[in-house]
Amino acid sequence: MSDIVIKVENLGKMYTIGHQAERGGYTALRDVLMENARTIWSKTKDLATGKPIIQGDTMEEVWALKDVSFEIERGDAVGIIGRNGAGKSTLLKILSRITEPTTGRVTIKGRVASLLEVGTGFHPELTGRENIYLNGTILGMTREEIKRKFDEIVAFAEVEKYLDTPVKRYSSGMYVRLAFAVAAHLEPEILVVDEVLAVGDAEFQ
Amino acid sequence: MSDSFPADTQEPVLIIEPGRMEKNYWADLWRYRDLFLILAWRDVSVRYKQTIIGILWAIIRPFLTMVVFTVIFGRIAKLPSDGTAPYALMVFAAMLPWSLFSNALSEASNSLISNANLIGKVYFPRLIIPAATLVAALIDFLISFAILIGMMVYYQFVPGGHMLLLPCFIILALLASLGPGLWITALNVKYRDFRYIIPFVVQFGLYVSPVGFSSKVIPEQWRLLYSLNPVVGVIDGFRWCILGGNSPIYMPGFLLSLAIIAFFLYLGITRFRKMEKTFADLI
Repeated sequence: MSDIVIKVENLGKMYTIGHQAERGGYTALRDVLMENARTIWSKTKDLATGKPIIQGDTMEEVWALKDVSFEIERGDAVGIIGRNGAGKSTLLKILSRITEPTTGRVTIKGRVASLLEVGTGFHPELTGRENIYLNGTILGMTREEIKRKFDEIVAFAEVEKYLDTPVKRYSSGMYVRLAFAVAAHLEPEILVVDEVLAVGDAEFQ
Repeated sequence: MSDSFPADTQEPVLIIEPGRMEKNYWADLWRYRDLFLILAWRDVSVRYKQTIIGILWAIIRPFLTMVVFTVIFGRIAKLPSDGTAPYALMVFAAMLPWSLFSNALSEASNSLISNANLIGKVYFPRLIIPAATLVAALIDFLISFAILIGMMVYYQFVPGGHMLLLPCFIILALLASLGPGLWITALNVKYRDFRYIIPFVVQFGLYVSPVGFSSKVIPEQWRLLYSLNPVVGVIDGFRWCILGGNSPIYMPGFLLSLAIIAFFLYLGITRFRKMEKTFADLI
């Protein structure tokens, strides 16, 4: 029997977007005032019914993902390619439980860590050392794990000298290196990565 | 489907479906306790970065408010204190829980928005974010507690055994702010109006709650109604602990405040859990 760790069935994700209606000719002050009054009224209605506020006059439903089904086996490294706006990131966000699908079902076996961005949660005021702990914990490492890998992370990022400097004083390259070094030391069973590898200078890559 | 997987108890099986409430949400909350601690620590350590007097800000603000209130309500308006307790001490015994409550409430209310980058990029039980802000407010509280001790020495006021119950009321103050805080921070994600409401509510509440005066100056027939404000119960409890017999608790009012706190906590948690799934899409 094949060992399937991720199974996606008929996954769909819908977003609602707004469109501005065409306005012909010139606009009179009266029209602007009327328009504003109408928006306030409709926004209040949204608030009362618990709907989110969407800018625009007409609404359209957009399916970022529709009827997506696939299976991934243990040990596979799978890449998803597509044009901008094809829904790649949306799929990854659903797999990493950041957002909920509108339809379908995903079954995942094993611990998932997601890396949709390098340096998630880095705080500019904190030092490099502090940010390693902060970022590592956010990505799902335990304190002991970070402690164990700390020297490795620092060596990998080559920032020993600046460990106790707030990261807001780092050069952007150093910042990204540090962030990537933490991410590179994640050891989950399933790793979800979204175009985060395009960092660093030639030597680093 | 779970039947296509071998029954393997070693690895957790996660099912993602629309509208599915996680069964192990509370267990997850415990599993992410490291994150709770580190977010709390981050909030504390960032709070007074790049300031000169740093943590002293936690002392100066409540102290000056106490001085002003003592002069206005005690000296000028000549309102009575609780029993024989010095007026300034009575004001500060209420200032402590009020600043704990208001700090915790305003930070919890803004917590999700100020952590928008985390919400869009990683999964964790979102409840951790507003809960972690309570720690920063608690630390501020503990620091300003030093003033209370200083004042007790100055007035040579010896607290009674009630003082030992103070931790219960500290927790009560935190729970009182967590309930509305959770609800408002969730609403804040959808409607940013709430960002402007909170500073107003906090300013308003300082005068509506019995901070500058004793709750005994409220006419007897209105006291129960007055206790609909949950902070009244918390403040009365603090005064009872700190001032002892000078400030007996008005029981029906206190119980009402407790009920309101419990109600808001329930409301806050259920609303938050309901909206939690959509945070990443709306923020």
